[in-house]
Amino acid sequence: MAFNIYIMKIFKILFLCLISISIFSQESFPRNGVKSTFSPIYAFTNAHLIISPDKEIINGTLLIQDDKIIDADSIVDIPKGAIIKDLKGDYVYPSFIDLYSDYGLPKAKRGEYNYRPQYESNKNGAFHWNQSIHPEINSAEQFVYDNKQAENYINSGFGVVLSHKQDGISRGTAVLVSLANQKEQKTVINDKAASCFSFKKGVSMQKYPSSLMGSIALLKQLFLDAYWYQNSNNTTNLSFNAFNSQLDLPHLFETSLVTDYNRIYQISDEFEIDFVIKGNGKEYERIEEIKSYEYPIILPLNFPLRYEINNPEESDILTLSKLKHWETAPFNPRVLSENGLNFCFTMSDLEKPSDFIKNLRTSIEKGLTKKDALQALTITPATLINEENRLGTLEIGKKANFIICSSDIFENGEIYENWTNGIQNIINEKTKNDVRGYYTFTAENISKTFTVSGKVSKLKMEEITSDSTSVKYEIEVKGNNIIFNSSDISLRGTAYFSDGIFTGRYQNLKGDNIPFSMTRDSIFQSTRKEFIMKYDTIIPSIWNPNKAYGNNYSISSLPTIFRNATVWTNENEGVTENTDVAINDGKIIAIGRNLIESEVFSKVKIPVQIIDASGKHLTCGIIDEHSHIAISKGVNEGSQAVTAEVEIGDAINPNDHNIYRQLAGGVTASQLLHGSANPIGGQSALIKLRWGGSAEEMKIEGADGFIKFALGENVKQSNWGNFNTIRFPQTRMGVEQVFYDAFYRAEAYKNLWNEYNDLPTSKKRKTVAPRADLELDALVEILNSKRFITCHSYVQSEINMLMHVADSMGFTINTFTHILEGYKLANKLKKHGAGASTFSDWWAYKFEVNDAIPYNASILNSKGVVTAINSDDAEMGRRLNQEAAKAVKYGGSSEEDAWKMVTLNPAILLHLENRMGSIKIGKDADIVIWSGNPLSVYSKVEKTFVDGKLLFDKTKNMELMKRDLKEKMRIINKMVNGNSDEETQKVEITEDHHYHCDTIEDYE
Amino acid sequence: MNKKIFLLILNLFLLGNISAQKTTLIMGGIAHLGTGEKIENSLIVVRDGKFDLVADASVVRIDPSAFDTIIRAYGKHIYPAFIAPNTTLGITEIDAVRASKDYNEVGSYNPNVRSQIAYNTDSKIIKTVRTNGVLVTQTTPRGGVISGLSSVMYLDGWNWEDATLKADDGIHLNWPSSFITSGWWAEPGKTSKNKNYDDRVKEIKNYFEIAKSYSEYDSKMDLELVSIKELFKGTRNLYIHANYANDIRESVRFFKKIGIKNIVIVGGRDALNAVSILKENNISIILERVHSLPVNEDASIDQFYKLPSQLSENNILFCLSYSGDMEAMGTRNLPFTAGTAVAYGLDMEKAIASISLNTAIILGIEKTTGSIEIGKNATFFISSGDALDMRTNNIELSFIKGIPVDLNNHQKELFKKYKNR
Repeated sequence: MAFNIYIMKIFKILFLCLISISIFSQESFPRNGVKSTFSPIYAFTNAHLIISPDKEIINGTLLIQDDKIIDADSIVDIPKGAIIKDLKGDYVYPSFIDLYSDYGLPKAKRGEYNYRPQYESNKNGAFHWNQSIHPEINSAEQFVYDNKQAENYINSGFGVVLSHKQDGISRGTAVLVSLANQKEQKTVINDKAASCFSFKKGVSMQKYPSSLMGSIALLKQLFLDAYWYQNSNNTTNLSFNAFNSQLDLPHLFETSLVTDYNRIYQISDEFEIDFVIKGNGKEYERIEEIKSYEYPIILPLNFPLRYEINNPEESDILTLSKLKHWETAPFNPRVLSENGLNFCFTMSDLEKPSDFIKNLRTSIEKGLTKKDALQALTITPATLINEENRLGTLEIGKKANFIICSSDIFENGEIYENWTNGIQNIINEKTKNDVRGYYTFTAENISKTFTVSGKVSKLKMEEITSDSTSVKYEIEVKGNNIIFNSSDISLRGTAYFSDGIFTGRYQNLKGDNIPFSMTRDSIFQSTRKEFIMKYDTIIPSIWNPNKAYGNNYSISSLPTIFRNATVWTNENEGVTENTDVAINDGKIIAIGRNLIESEVFSKVKIPVQIIDASGKHLTCGIIDEHSHIAISKGVNEGSQAVTAEVEIGDAINPNDHNIYRQLAGGVTASQLLHGSANPIGGQSALIKLRWGGSAEEMKIEGADGFIKFALGENVKQSNWGNFNTIRFPQTRMGVEQVFYDAFYRAEAYKNLWNEYNDLPTSKKRKTVAPRADLELDALVEILNSKRFITCHSYVQSEINMLMHVADSMGFTINTFTHILEGYKLANKLKKHGAGASTFSDWWAYKFEVNDAIPYNASILNSKGVVTAINSDDAEMGRRLNQEAAKAVKYGGSSEEDAWKMVTLNPAILLHLENRMGSIKIGKDADIVIWSGNPLSVYSKVEKTFVDGKLLFDKTKNMELMKRDLKEKMRIINKMVNGNSDEETQKVEITEDHHYHCDTIEDYE
Repeated sequence: MNKKIFLLILNLFLLGNISAQKTTLIMGGIAHLGTGEKIENSLIVVRDGKFDLVADASVVRIDPSAFDTIIRAYGKHIYPAFIAPNTTLGITEIDAVRASKDYNEVGSYNPNVRSQIAYNTDSKIIKTVRTNGVLVTQTTPRGGVISGLSSVMYLDGWNWEDATLKADDGIHLNWPSSFITSGWWAEPGKTSKNKNYDDRVKEIKNYFEIAKSYSEYDSKMDLELVSIKELFKGTRNLYIHANYANDIRESVRFFKKIGIKNIVIVGGRDALNAVSILKENNISIILERVHSLPVNEDASIDQFYKLPSQLSENNILFCLSYSGDMEAMGTRNLPFTAGTAVAYGLDMEKAIASISLNTAIILGIEKTTGSIEIGKNATFFISSGDALDMRTNNIELSFIKGIPVDLNNHQKELFKKYKNR
């Protein structure tokens, strides 16, 4: 052992010599005058050193010189001449690192608003065509030391931040900087430490992308283009050059929704790129899913403030999801930690900088371990940007970035000093002298009594007079010097404190300076209780989704027999009475009268659930062919005329409460369609309403791909105001040409790839592959009958036109949606092979719907066109049974035919009829139990099963309402009874997004 | 005597010469009187355009030979005219065509603008609405603080004059909302407390104090204030459009205090939280569309489906409207919203009252319209099935003041043209 220590010492001495040599480093700056180059060694003695999360020295010494740590141990030889700072037990931690900052960078500025839409880039030069893609932005080039911003970080214990200009989708590189007040040449640690991404368009005024799904498509295309560009050398693009040069850097990706993790994962999976994710504080909501992605996460501590609830109306408006988030958000870091995720912290997203330490401590109170917290503040961020050799601990050779605290920073330790790059920043003066006590004041012939009390950092001084009135004084202590000043300015003095006695001079009202002394008779007895952490470590229950009507337990598919129902089979059997239906493992397994349990479930071991459906009607679930629920941030990528590359599937919002509401209306599956703002819109997502599931779980496995097309007033921008007259097409004539142009381009593209793919292997290796184009890929799928069109349409001329386009290009229009003049050309639709999905009775909202008639569905159906009735509306979506009934009223369809319009027919139109749309053995157990005839306005849904899982139940719904109210009141009481010193926020409500086809918006 | 006996399969063409002066006997129908009562087997006599007899056929005997026209309505349903209050029906045609919209005048205070004269009796929409049982509407302007004057109109007439049931029945005032939504229709932002609420309320209060002063001094002609004066006289209703309970309470208190006699709340989504003030002051409500999404994610999913039944339990007089998006063309669905209210607990006959007699009482036309009662105008219709259910709603005959209404429309014409193509 002794030998080892000896070796260690020799090693250290050698090391010190090396450091000392390099410390007198050279500079590239010219010098004005004589300037010392001497770098002293600082020795911090009697320190409680937290070297790293794993190593703690209760009483040790830290040696630093210039910007480096040269030793940190319990026994250290202090070199001669070192400046010694006795810390007397103060805690020393490596300082913190923030990877998500825009410190020292100018804010991106938005261009002036122009009423005319901007379709092309306004940025001159050989850059990317879209202004939200600018990987060439080098934040290091714009970085300038900023005193005020630096202070916010330094005061919270940070020493180094990774800073980037937070604008756009592909944002360019981030710069790693020290917060020291030094020349940038010294503080920039790594000028390109990461490349950064987000889904936010930022300040770009260019129309594209106008939706979240557009941002995602743009990003995917960027990855493809940059790859292709590497091998094709016919043009120069500085953005691609920059992008390609950053491939080896860590990639940061900002999220704003918890569901963004999945979106990023899809990109990461497709392009084999790893990301470090900037989190959003709601990770706990979908922790199982997030855990599976294994991304490192930069976590904000943006815990919501408690709400100010002044009256019952405000408490009504405050939603349970907000209350639950208020309660659970502080547990988020712990939840991540317990799930084994690698995470670090950022000051980003805070209301104010001082919340950082406060919220950090709250996380500890909620059960995050101090060790994990320190790891997240130091080593993890250092490692994520490959700087673990220079940053993150107090080990020898690392940067002299550390903080000195009065005690444990994770409890109530106050930060005294933050040393960055070996430079001291004083945050709170460590008051050496506790001058508090009871004093006798004597001067000339006066004698007075004083108390000095309060906190050491905030003293109170009072004169005690005989008539027990008191005069208050302001008092300030700096080292051994004090200044005091009575509130009536009758007495002002300065004094020096030593051994319990102040000696000095005071000034009276006449202006005389009089010497005095003030002797401490006894020391002030602090009544303050010892600091105790208020641990509160029970994680509130997290529902799926974490809001009203969310599931608080997992729902499984039970073997079930429905007895004695009136069954609307949608098959040859028609509507049959007194019929039993058996389901198991999410499928229908038997239909018949008096099914025998032991026969039907011969292999099932668990108890079979029997549901008495006497007097009830049993149907398959309703399928909404045209829905816009459950979509995040934009239903229309309405910017360009052709946006076949965007996918609704990228923007599914599984938390949308309209999913639950529609289950309550008997809907079990929906086609989430792109809007109708452009002739070729985006790709659809076919989902089942699997309430509680993730976005991916909602998608119908193996479903065919669909895409939205649109015609008429919306794509012509007829009702977009007088400024939107630039985009081609503005007439129905132009619409036709958009389609021909798109499909001719697609055909050429297809041929290009075919030629390439047909090359012999040897030649292929030498040939550059054609550029992959997501837009044309989707169109080629249409040409190859691998992707199917649902086309928004109204008047017969345009419907006829599109069928001609399709016929001439060799494909079929799968479905015309809305198709309110479909009745005028039913024969043509039939001949072409298109189906129709229409509104029951909407009309007169646009000029083009003047000839819309509610008899449309009945006529089309009677002429043999597969006809569905859809919603396009979140409210109507939950009453589609009533909408179907209107086909009986208008045009006299039979009740069974009408019912098929919202079940079997949409299943056929969506190519799902072999697993949905009727009650048939082998089909999915998507089953609805109705109180009566499902077409009647008086009938209500009693139970809705999706894949055999009971996701809506009339009785359970009442229980959920009670549960939700109880939970709400529990949290409100907790909030009201909480710490009243805490800041509050006002109650605000967020309106729901309800999309229709025409919903145009600009997404940022 | 020129006698006709109809089995209701006959169409209007044959009814063409029924006139107001003659007598019609309707036998055997299930009569929903609008008063909350129902006669399973009814005898109804229309004489001179008015109900002359409304009786139970099992009690009263009548000689059919005494009538000019006999309608056999066995098993069919007879209803008083459904009334659609608070709608732009008749003063708008196509949402996206500005030139066709006549409901929103420039300016914040327009108590003098009158919807009656903009009412287009030849509106294509009107003809598709009356086919479902709605025969009377309250044509209502929109916008500003005071949108203007509504009028109660028949859905049939040669011109707005003879289509008028009650001219200038009330002034529509949009009370500021305590919560406001930022953003725009397609992208609503956050809703937060309306910071301007107090200022805007103050402005309204000032306006009405001045109007009151004017009405008491009765000095020179003032086109604007002379309209408000009717409110103080009690000859005109004040329709306060307000949804939040706080807004309902504050507006009712103010207008009662200043002396306005007839107040109606329009909207009333949060009325359950303002029950006591509504009852104390005997205030009735024109409810917003029943087929609406709940107010927020926490709310009961059937919040507005069951609101009518809850108001009924609280003994508040209310009627249903179809106001909201696409309200004009959607008004033909008003009966079905009453159907939904039945599904969610409202008594069937009360639901019928909520689109007939209740509405008439609220609009102040109950002396002549709103129910099938002796002495009232024979404004009613016959449906082969339950008219509140879209599955069975099938209007065969409609009458306004005893005169048959043409039930054909543009859409039926197109249907006829194309169904057998």
